[in-house]
Amino acid sequence: MASLSWKHHTLIQALISRGPLKEKEFHSIFTGVTGRNPGDAKKIFDKYLLEINKELSYVHFELRACRDQYDGHVCYGVVNTVSDDQSKLGTKYSVPQIAFFKGIIEAIAHDEAAQGCISGFDALNIRLENQVPSEASSSQQQVPPAFRNFSMSQKDKTLDELVKDNWLCRTRDGNNIGLGIRSLLDLRSWFRNNDVPSCEVCNEAGVKADLCPNEGCTVRIHKYCLKNLSSQRDDRVCSGCGKPWPLGRVAKEEAVEAAVNDDDEEETDTQATSLRSKKRKIRRHRDSAENVSSQASLASSSGITRRRVTRSAAHLS
Amino acid sequence: MADEADALSQFGISKEETDKLVSEVIRFLLFKSHQNSGCPIKREDLTQIVTKNYRQRNLAASVINEAKTKLSSVFGYDLKELQRSRTCSNAQTRLPQSQSNADSKSYVLVSQLPIEVFRKHVVEETTSPMTGFTFAVLAVVQLAGGKIPEVCSIETLWHHLRRMGLHESDEHNPVFGSNKQALETLVQQRFLHKEKVSGPEGNTLFYDLAERALDAQVSERVKDYISQILKNDVSVVELD
Repeated sequence: MASLSWKHHTLIQALISRGPLKEKEFHSIFTGVTGRNPGDAKKIFDKYLLEINKELSYVHFELRACRDQYDGHVCYGVVNTVSDDQSKLGTKYSVPQIAFFKGIIEAIAHDEAAQGCISGFDALNIRLENQVPSEASSSQQQVPPAFRNFSMSQKDKTLDELVKDNWLCRTRDGNNIGLGIRSLLDLRSWFRNNDVPSCEVCNEAGVKADLCPNEGCTVRIHKYCLKNLSSQRDDRVCSGCGKPWPLGRVAKEEAVEAAVNDDDEEETDTQATSLRSKKRKIRRHRDSAENVSSQASLASSSGITRRRVTRSAAHLS
Repeated sequence: MADEADALSQFGISKEETDKLVSEVIRFLLFKSHQNSGCPIKREDLTQIVTKNYRQRNLAASVINEAKTKLSSVFGYDLKELQRSRTCSNAQTRLPQSQSNADSKSYVLVSQLPIEVFRKHVVEETTSPMTGFTFAVLAVVQLAGGKIPEVCSIETLWHHLRRMGLHESDEHNPVFGSNKQALETLVQQRFLHKEKVSGPEGNTLFYDLAERALDAQVSERVKDYISQILKNDVSVVELD
């Protein structure tokens, strides 16, 4: 039984005590303990994660990565994978608070427009009564007094706590409530079990995604997945219904790239140079995004054949 | 580690079952520690996980030992045992020795990482104020000789805390909320022990150092902290 080194322990403990970390921060911890940069030493980084997950599977935990659907950045976290008596203890929130939270998740996840958020006003008006756990069919559906008496100010306070703990997030304009990174890491299987449509490209739940404009078509794609997609092929049609997919901002980037290709010869032209550096920036972004998406922890079980996908570390248990 | 595995196999239950028990104990420790913010977890809560379904004697002890090993090898946490071995001078009844030993054990999870690594990568910054508070309170109590009354005389705990800007009655401290509650947390985490002593003027509350503060690791660091402060203020002390 191989034991993990203090370097592995540091990575695990950091995620446990500090909560989910952005990729940049997690990578800097890795560099701090190993002296290697995950960008350059990808194999070593993946090996570490694999070793960690092999041991964590014993206690039904997993070190997982996922993309924050609101800013496209990758985040890492240690996640519980099994719901049992012990895990039910792992929360400081009360029963009505959890019911309130569940109501918010459902409202956000089932939004037909896949905006990935609900307004603060709607959040405060979530009704807890819908969250009453269903007892045996014979007994009446009793709404616990704690649910009925959960006041507006309690809801407001709970919202603040949930945002502080990263279960929920506030959108940039501050008016809307979206899913926090903890929820995105944790609820992967919940999204699947509750029929939240997945993104066509990465197969993760498309909580905040662009929808195919064709009303009959259910295809949805994350904005950041769209950017990667349009770089790979020229046609911009929906893979579900074949109708053209409006790319908006992405189309402009394509135009820039085309312009730079034409101007490639001119070294001295300053405009071309600035365009070329923009092209380099776009390409680097695409490259790094592709590297990230093929990283062990991000791949989903079904995989997408077009992309280079390595098996998720989690599935090696 | 091979010894632990052998020890578990003697109970006549399958490896899968023992693995499951050890896993449940570890998960209980991790989740409960989070829920009660580092307050000690009672040994009986752990043994109950095992005895709920199994009757073998000593199985619980073996499972807990295996869990301790795994917590160290997988997570880098030390399952620290705290024994309530203090003799309470006011105790009227004494429990039979064996029972008091078994019942009074409790556990906390402490990181085994080197202190610099912990500080640089693992420490959650929002806990720093509480850690600072803990150090300050323990230093005051230790300098007072290990025991200090709460309020009644001039040289009391709150007197010293007031000099650091923390008032006993303050319920809206921007960091701690209620200062009294912060102090109470130290009692719950077993850094301090609260004791009512009946004296001529009535009941007084005394605080003294409890198990976690008396642990060598902690008391060494508190002594270091005190000596650092004294070193910086050497001129002031000499004038006194």
